[in-house]
Formats: sequence, C-alpha cells, structure tokens
Amino acid sequence: MGVRICSALAIAAMLVAAAAGGADDGASDKVLKSTSDHAKFKVLQQEFASGPEVTRACLTCHTEAARQLQLTQHWKWEFLNPDGRRLGKKSIINNFCTSVASNYAYCTTCHIGYGWKDDRFDFSVQENVDCLICHDTTGNYRKAPGFAGHVVTQETEFPPGSGNRLKPVKLGPIAQEVARTSRDNCGACHFFGGGGDGVKHGDLDSSLASPDKSLDVHMDALGNNFACATCHMTAGHQVPGSRYAPTAVDRGGARLRGKEYKTNPTTCQSCHGQAPHKAGAAKLNDHTDKVACQTCHIPAYARGGVPTKMSWDWSTAGLMGLDGKPMVRKDAKGRVVYTAAKGTFVIAENVVPEYVWFNGRVTYTLLGDRIEKGAQPTRINHFEGSAGDNRSMIWPVKVFRGKQAYDPLYKSLVVTHMAGTDDTAFWTNFNWEKAVAVGMASVGAPFSGKVDFVETESMWPITHMVAPAKDALRCHDCHASGARLEKVAGIYIPGRGSDHSVWLEVIGWALAALALAGALVHGTGRIAAARRRH
Amino acid sequence: MTKTVYVAGVAALCLLGIGLHAIDAHAAGGDWKRGRVYYQKVCTDCHTAKAGGAIAPNARTMADWTAYLNADKHAKGKDSLRNYASREYRASVKGTNKAAEKYADVPDEQLFNDIRSFMLKGAKDGDSPASCN
Amino acid sequence: MARAYIFKRFERFWHWAQAALIIAMLLTGFEVHGSYRLFGWGRAAGLHTSVAWALIGLWLFAIFWHFTTGEWRQYLPTTDKLGAVLRYYLTGIFSDEPHPFRVTRLSKHNPAQRLAYLLVKVIINPLIWVSGLLYLYYNELGATGTVIASGLGLGAIALVHTAAAFLMLAFLIGHVYLATTGHTPLARVRAMITGWEQLADEPEPETRKIPAQGVST
Repeated sequence: MGVRICSALAIAAMLVAAAAGGADDGASDKVLKSTSDHAKFKVLQQEFASGPEVTRACLTCHTEAARQLQLTQHWKWEFLNPDGRRLGKKSIINNFCTSVASNYAYCTTCHIGYGWKDDRFDFSVQENVDCLICHDTTGNYRKAPGFAGHVVTQETEFPPGSGNRLKPVKLGPIAQEVARTSRDNCGACHFFGGGGDGVKHGDLDSSLASPDKSLDVHMDALGNNFACATCHMTAGHQVPGSRYAPTAVDRGGARLRGKEYKTNPTTCQSCHGQAPHKAGAAKLNDHTDKVACQTCHIPAYARGGVPTKMSWDWSTAGLMGLDGKPMVRKDAKGRVVYTAAKGTFVIAENVVPEYVWFNGRVTYTLLGDRIEKGAQPTRINHFEGSAGDNRSMIWPVKVFRGKQAYDPLYKSLVVTHMAGTDDTAFWTNFNWEKAVAVGMASVGAPFSGKVDFVETESMWPITHMVAPAKDALRCHDCHASGARLEKVAGIYIPGRGSDHSVWLEVIGWALAALALAGALVHGTGRIAAARRRH
Repeated sequence: MTKTVYVAGVAALCLLGIGLHAIDAHAAGGDWKRGRVYYQKVCTDCHTAKAGGAIAPNARTMADWTAYLNADKHAKGKDSLRNYASREYRASVKGTNKAAEKYADVPDEQLFNDIRSFMLKGAKDGDSPASCN
Repeated sequence: MARAYIFKRFERFWHWAQAALIIAMLLTGFEVHGSYRLFGWGRAAGLHTSVAWALIGLWLFAIFWHFTTGEWRQYLPTTDKLGAVLRYYLTGIFSDEPHPFRVTRLSKHNPAQRLAYLLVKVIINPLIWVSGLLYLYYNELGATGTVIASGLGLGAIALVHTAAAFLMLAFLIGHVYLATTGHTPLARVRAMITGWEQLADEPEPETRKIPAQGVST
C-alpha cells in the first residue's frame, strides 16, 4: 500500500515536471529533453581557476563551438554595413557612454570572451570564448566591470585600495548545470545596455526576465514563456535578428517545417504571416503592407516598471557637491537623474514611441565624419525610408537624444577615455580635454585639443514588449488629427486632418451651408407670405 | 517591526525540500526560476495588495531568510508559512492567480524548495541579490 | 379632393430605406473623414462599410425594379414647364400660386425634380460608388500594382469620395426642405409614406390618364 502511494507520487511528480517544463527556461526541460547531464561529465567535476579553463573543458566535447562563435558579431563586435561602412560596438560612437575604444576593460565585461583589455586582443584563441555567460542556468555567473570580461574566481579588492571586495564565482557548479540559453542569459547584457537596467533599448530590461502577459505575450513566464532564442532562432551559434541588420519589411508568409528559409527568422511575419487578424477584424490585415506589427502591438515601451533613458546631457558632467565629492541628484522616486561622472539624464516609463518610415537601411555618423553644431542634431544613426520607396513600413522607434563631446575645430565626434583607474579617465578626473586626448590617441585619430558639446540623436527599433491584443492600439490612435502618426508623411490616413484638401473642405462645407441657408430663407419667406395672406 | 514580521511571513514560505535531494541532484538545489515566478506572482502580488508592499529578497541576508523559512510563521505567527505554498492554498486562489493555477499540482515540498532557492540566491549576501525590479 | 396612388410599396420602401442608409453613410462617413467624433473611428468605419453593402444591395433591387417596371422613364429630363416650375419656387410659392405641374402616375416628378434626381443618379451616385469601392478595395488594387501604375493614390480616391459626399449632403438638405413645399408642409412626406398623393381640386387633363383602380375620390 505504502509502496503504491509512493510510486503514485513519483509519477505525479514526473507529470508535474513535464507540465512545468515551459515555466522555468531550463531545469525541468533539461531533465526531460537533454540527453546529457553535465554534472556527470568527469571533465566538469573539478574546481576551475579561470573562465578559459572551463572553456577548454567544454571544447573537449563541443569541438566546433568556439570557432562558430568566433564568426559572430557577439565575438567580433563588428558589422559591415551594406553601405560599406564598418560598424559594430568596436567602431561606432554612440550617445550613451559614447565609445568602447579606450574603455575596453570595462565595456568588454559584456563581451562573450575573456581578456579583451585593449586593441591587441587575439580573436583567434578558442579558450577565450566565454561559454558560461550564455549557458549558465544558476544565475550565479557574473563578470565584474574592469576585468576585461574575466570572471573573478578569488576574492579581489577592486578598484585596488578601495576596500570594495568582489565575491568569487564558483565555476565548477555553474559548469555542471549548463543548458540552453534563457532570457536571463541574454538579459545579463542586453537588459543592461547603455550602462544600466533598461537604459538603452527601452523595450529590453530586467522586467523581461520573468514578465507577465500584459508586458509581453510571448515571454509571459506563466504562458508562452519564450526564450530569446525562440525567435532569434540560432543555429551553429549564429544568432539572427541583430539591429545592425534589421528586417524592416517581411513580405513572407508563416514558416513551415521542412522548408528552407534564407531570410531573417525573427520577424513577426515569420510566424504570423501577412494576414494575422481574424475575419471579424479583417480590415486590420489591410494594414500589414505599410504598418509594422510593432506599431500597433507595442503601444508603449518601458512598461515593466524599469525606466529607460530618454536623453543624456554630458555637458553638465563634473559638478562637485558642497562636500567636495562628485554630485548625485535623484528625482522624487529616488532614481538617479544626475551624476558628476555622466551628466544629466531624463528617464521615463510607459513611453509612447515615435514613428518613422523604415526600409531596413541605417546610416551612421562615425568617428571622423564631418559634423556641424547647428539647429539639427547630429544623427548618430538614422533609420532610412519613405512612403514612396515602396519598401518601407511605419515603425515605432525610441529616439535617444544626447549632448556629447565633440571636437569643434576638426568637427568630429570623439573617443573619450571614460573608465579606468589612471589619471586621464574622465570618470576619475572629470577633465574632458585630457580624457578625449587619450581616447583619440588610442585610435590614432587627430584631436585639436578643444572639446565642445553637440546635440545628437540615435534611433532604436521598438520590437519587444508586445502587448496582448486587447491592449493594442485602437483605430483612433492613428485615425485622427494630432494622433500617433501625425508626423508620418507621404501617406493618406483617413481621419487625419492634415491630409484633407483645404479647398474641398471649404467648398464642401460652404455648399452644405448654402443649401441650409437657402432652405431657411426660402422657408421663412413662405411662412411670412402665408401670414400675410391670412 | 510589523514589516519584519511580514518579511518573516514571506520568508517562511520557503522551507521544505529537505527530503528531496535523494531524487535528483538538480532538484536538491530547487528550480529557482520557478521559485522566482511564484515569489513574484503569488507572494509579492498578495503582499502588495494586502500587506503593505513588496519585500525584496535582497532586503535580508541568507541567514535571516533561513531562520524565517525554518520558523514557518506567517502574519505575525498567526498561520503557517508553508500553507501559502501548499496545493490547498494554490487551489484556493487559482481562479484569480495565474501562477497558482499553473503550478497547481506541483508537490508542496518541491515548490517550497524552489522558492527557497530563489530567496537564498537573491538575499543581500546571496549569489545574485534580487531587488523587486 | 382627389387622391392618386403614386408611390408603390417597393418604391416607398426603397425611398425610406435609402434615406436612412444615406443619412447613416453621411454620419459615419464624415467621422471617418475626421470631421468629428461620434461613434468612435473604428465603429464608424465598420458601420460605414456595412451600411454601404446594404445600400449597394438596395440599389441593385431598385435598378432591377426601375427597369422591369419602366419607371426609369420618370427620370428622363424634360424642359417642358421647367421654367415655370423654377419660377414657381422662386416667386409663385410666396403668393400661393398653383403649382404649374400636376403629378400623375406616369409623371410623378416635376421637371426640376427629374433633373435633380437624374443628377444624383448619373453623377453623385456613380462618383460615390466607384470611389467608395476603390477606397474599400484599395489594398487589393495596390497588390495588383494598378493603383501605383495609374498614380491613383488613396488620397485622390478619398478626395473624390469626399467631394461626392459633400454633393450628397447638399442634395439631402435641399431635398428635405423641398419635401415641405407641398400644399401643406407634410403633404409630400405623407404621400411618400402612404403612396397616396392629394391632387388639386381642379383635375387637370392628365389625371384622366390615371388607371381607374389607382384613383379614388
């Protein structure tokens, strides 16, 4: 009897584990789906002294993994734009912390590798590929800023002499628990782009680690529970769907198994096709040729309770408080809106996107490109497209506005040496000229010695935080004057006043008014005439 | 003071799992991600609505949480903490709580262990301190 | 006073159904256009489309009816008495002059009405229907490339459709007012409801043409 109850319980437990498989991004999945229990591999049953040692162990079975990764943007931080220009984190200047160059040891905390501390990093060494940052399931693997992507395995004081002690990471147990990637893995870097939670993207922040349905219908932890890779379908470690190579327009249908596709699998259309709305709302399907799905289905970004940065003014950086220490200011909710190291921020939640025509081409202003300080902000990057080019869709974007250092004589954006414990890093010394001189020298670019500040703008596609259908935009959100698409030119939007022909409005209403006035005058005449007669 | 007791209450949710390690090495550690979902969507939701606010795992140390979890006291000792991770409790709120519904049939001890894993991991001195965001 | 059965059952149904549908089209249409907010844009657009199909259906029946009964001849334009009728509405009506036109079964509309309704039927309606269907099926046209090839954008289609709607609105206002110009303000409306038109005391020669079963005294 007792035995029977026990086995019944065991079976129940197994069933539960199966049912719960979708909820946890890993543990139960692994038990049921993976053919390997990494804890049983002898090569992983050891204490690892460093990240590369773990990678060496991984490569004993996964022989091709490192070489696959070394082909990726994740590894190279480099992207060749279709216009021939060299992009990628390594080369571009942005309007957040502005440049990776000259700040490698800090920025490469988020590199999928170990030891990229300067521009002499050897990209061909296989053991420098970091497997764990993407495959950890314990949530305990982390890399501290300042170590060039290395993981701290012994208690370390950092910065030296600061008294700040970093806790060591035990690599053995982490290596024994590896599995497929989850939102937590990708999020470890992508939620924190721009230097903090939600700062950069607006549609990616830590609230997506375990979101509810109202925040994202696909990643809903209690529902679909998509991992990032569910859409960013990765094969051979090649992750599709980079914003550097965006697919603005996908005219394809929903994908079928067994068929081969050469296009980007991360688009909405790759699952939902071109006519996703039900018969009762069929008119909505008439929008899919011009309006990106995201436009209606992501009514606002930064909806998960984490604010995103909307603007960043570096020109105010460097203020010291009365105590002589770098100043920090917070808003009413206690969120930082000024630091001496970074200047002034505007942060916001539940932000309504701006909308632009986008055809997938993005142009950049790179180091050395001539820029002018004027009425128009310098475009760090810009989404190209128009109503007339027949390959653009209306897309929601976050426009991030900045004011950042540039060289007013050579008229160029600049590389700034931000982070470091030396006496030129801006975050240590608050001296722009010194920090820019070192930064520019590090990439061999000319610098006049003068620093001024220029207004800049960058665009970020809004494509995550897809709301449930009931929260999608309603017709009048666009079909009205002064509505969301007010500034989108080149298309006739019924209900938008600025699309009306002024002369037709004047003549039309005048005609109606004349008819009415005629009737009133004529009628009054008849009444008066009748009174006179009787 | 009151807050501490609430903390104790939430903390106590997570005790069980002691008898579990025989089954599987992974289960012994608990599924912290499932624990996270339950902590956020059941414990925190109710605390936010009825008990004056959320309590972040990183508001307490691992030792604090362990003590609370072992004490098994909720709402100033009025009831058992484990009750709030039990199948009976989940059944009673599953009409209005999706997490309770989804995990309706997870064995009590397994779920309790999951929650404990998340809380200890997210504690102030845990492996990855977790705030309420 | 003599009475004549002028408007047959289908005709009356057609008239009033069409009146309701056209008013609904104008109300929803100008909301879709962006002139005001009444039903909410989505509902207005949905109603506009459904009512349009109802109106198209009604029209198909009406066209069939007009041709099978020969009633289409009622809209053939004539200049006979046109001047007199116009003069009547401009001056005579104020001095209680008799209407220069006598309604009969075979000629139920005076020459001004004939002209006005003909304009509605051959100009305003085709403009509305053609532009409206192009508007409704703009996406399908776009997919075939014909819209782009012909340079006929949605803006141009909407412009024609709106212009026609303004003409219809002006017609509607005039029509509703002129309906009050019978020998009593509601006489014509009553006739349009019951089908029976009150004839003037002095029977004109034409009334004799009315088939016996259609006349009573």
